Amino acid sequence: MKDKKISPRDVAYEVEQFLFWEARLLDEAKYDDWLKLLTRDFRYWVPVRETSDNRHSDIRGENEMAFFDDDLEFMKARVQRLHSGFAHAETPASRTRRVITNVEVQDKAKTLVKVFCNFIIYQTRLEQTEAVYVGCREDVLKRSGPSWKIRNRTVLLDQTLLPRTISIIL
Amino acid sequence: MDEAHANYLSDDGLISREIFFDSDIYHKELERVFARAWLFLGHENQVPDAGDYFTNYMGEDPVIIWRDRGGKIRVFLNSCRHRGMRLCRTDFGNASHFTCPFHGWSYSSEGALTGVPFLKDAYFGDLDRKKWGLYEVAKVESYRGLLFANMDTDCISLDEFLGDLKWYLDVLLSRTLGEIEILPGRQRYRCKTNWKIAGENFAGDTYHLPYSHGSLFRVDAPLLNPVSYMNSPNLYSVTTKHGHGLCGVSAAGERFEADLKLAEELGVEAREYVEETKRRLDEAVSREQADVYTLAFGNIFPNFSFNNFSALRPYGFYLWHPKGPSEIEAWQWSGVDSEAPDSIKELCRKMFQRQQAAAGIAGQDDTENFEQVTEATRGVVGQSLDFNYQMGFGHEDKIISPSKLPGKLGPYYSEQGQRNYYKYWAEMMGFEAGTSQKI
Repeated sequence: MKDKKISPRDVAYEVEQFLFWEARLLDEAKYDDWLKLLTRDFRYWVPVRETSDNRHSDIRGENEMAFFDDDLEFMKARVQRLHSGFAHAETPASRTRRVITNVEVQDKAKTLVKVFCNFIIYQTRLEQTEAVYVGCREDVLKRSGPSWKIRNRTVLLDQTLLPRTISIIL
Repeated sequence: MDEAHANYLSDDGLISREIFFDSDIYHKELERVFARAWLFLGHENQVPDAGDYFTNYMGEDPVIIWRDRGGKIRVFLNSCRHRGMRLCRTDFGNASHFTCPFHGWSYSSEGALTGVPFLKDAYFGDLDRKKWGLYEVAKVESYRGLLFANMDTDCISLDEFLGDLKWYLDVLLSRTLGEIEILPGRQRYRCKTNWKIAGENFAGDTYHLPYSHGSLFRVDAPLLNPVSYMNSPNLYSVTTKHGHGLCGVSAAGERFEADLKLAEELGVEAREYVEETKRRLDEAVSREQADVYTLAFGNIFPNFSFNNFSALRPYGFYLWHPKGPSEIEAWQWSGVDSEAPDSIKELCRKMFQRQQAAAGIAGQDDTENFEQVTEATRGVVGQSLDFNYQMGFGHEDKIISPSKLPGKLGPYYSEQGQRNYYKYWAEMMGFEAGTSQKI
């Protein structure tokens, strides 16, 4: 950022392109390449959703039950599992398609940007198995040379009842 | 089904695959099993205050678990008595009353019909409100905080239903420094399989661990696989009356030893915690029970599974709700010791999420297997064959444990848990075990 000034519009474009590329890495099952996009202090959090009296208060805090609460180390273990020959739920691998939309970048002038987006993930495997996951995401990206790394990813699923167990990375 | 060869657990350990598909059998299960057995609903701690409620299912019937103004926990069908509308549409909360969104009938936490719009003008005062309170589930009992309910007024008591299993549950429930705290948030997911496939897995299937969960032993996540003692000769399968089964029960203090070793690696706080849990256990239960220390995993008939491998692991509570012959909704909660240090609670929560949970690396392989078992056996020829539950046949109850554990003991790798599960299933269904008969 020091050597040349990037306009906010360029930052927004860069970030959006980064998210599309990152989604493609996951769709193409290039997990080892994907892991390289995570910072050492990476945190991945997908809280459980429930229907409460107040639709904005069902997330009650970080100590509640989540579907994922992973650091880099465990995310590496998940990928290691996929290579282990014993990841039955992903053998053979699912086909997935991630649709990333409504990208909104905040703090464009800083080295850490906050990015909101919506997603639809379609998963199919074998003959009849299908699942659709829909929600929004809040990422914190850190500038890393000409590109970005993911430091924080919070995924808010819109579903309370999942279509199946989650065998993919959301 | 009229020419079926339906084999409901014959003496050779075989079971007809039809019991996992047939819609007549499924409907009879809802009547004869789910409307007559003690079903787990949750923990008392989920409704600490008057008005607190959460919703659940008993079979396919939706229910509200609601603490009334006097402090009593009541269970009602979650359906308006007028025209059946779902009364409470949230998963949890606090309410002094519920008003039906359809026509506005209101009910108190005692289940009384307290409000009927235009009672005078529309009903001319003819509606007897006393007769139209919420349908209340006949029996609600707690075993040391674990809430069960039974639709059948003539059922045996929860105490009798649990029987010898209580000896083991007391181990789990006495090892905490505080109470079992259910973490907010229930994980829920669909799985296209029959409910019994999930239940029997926890009731007796130790044999699937090394292969189904082979990935657990092959990733760099040492906390997930501290099972170096798994091949010990001192681990047993245990079955008790009424179809209950436990897997991997240790009677020689091995699970405590393993916990101590793991705690040493985690640090002083973990070690002190583990030692304190053992002290509490030693004071509260018999020496034999303290040596058991924890239960690994098991199933309380019909659809309540649980696990707790260690004081450094969560209590996992799992319900397999039937949603037709070939579909379930899995509901799961995690419990932690309310007085455990925060670091241990966090460890337990993460271990739950990462292992036997919706995105856990064990849970997802189980459901893949359950679904593909279902897919691969639904054909005409597939349906004419049997499932094989012969492992360890004739070896149950042959083990004389040094500490005389209650129930029937069998080897660690055995399908006695499944045989015991289906034996009681057949009994509840009114089928004579070991026969082929028309339904």
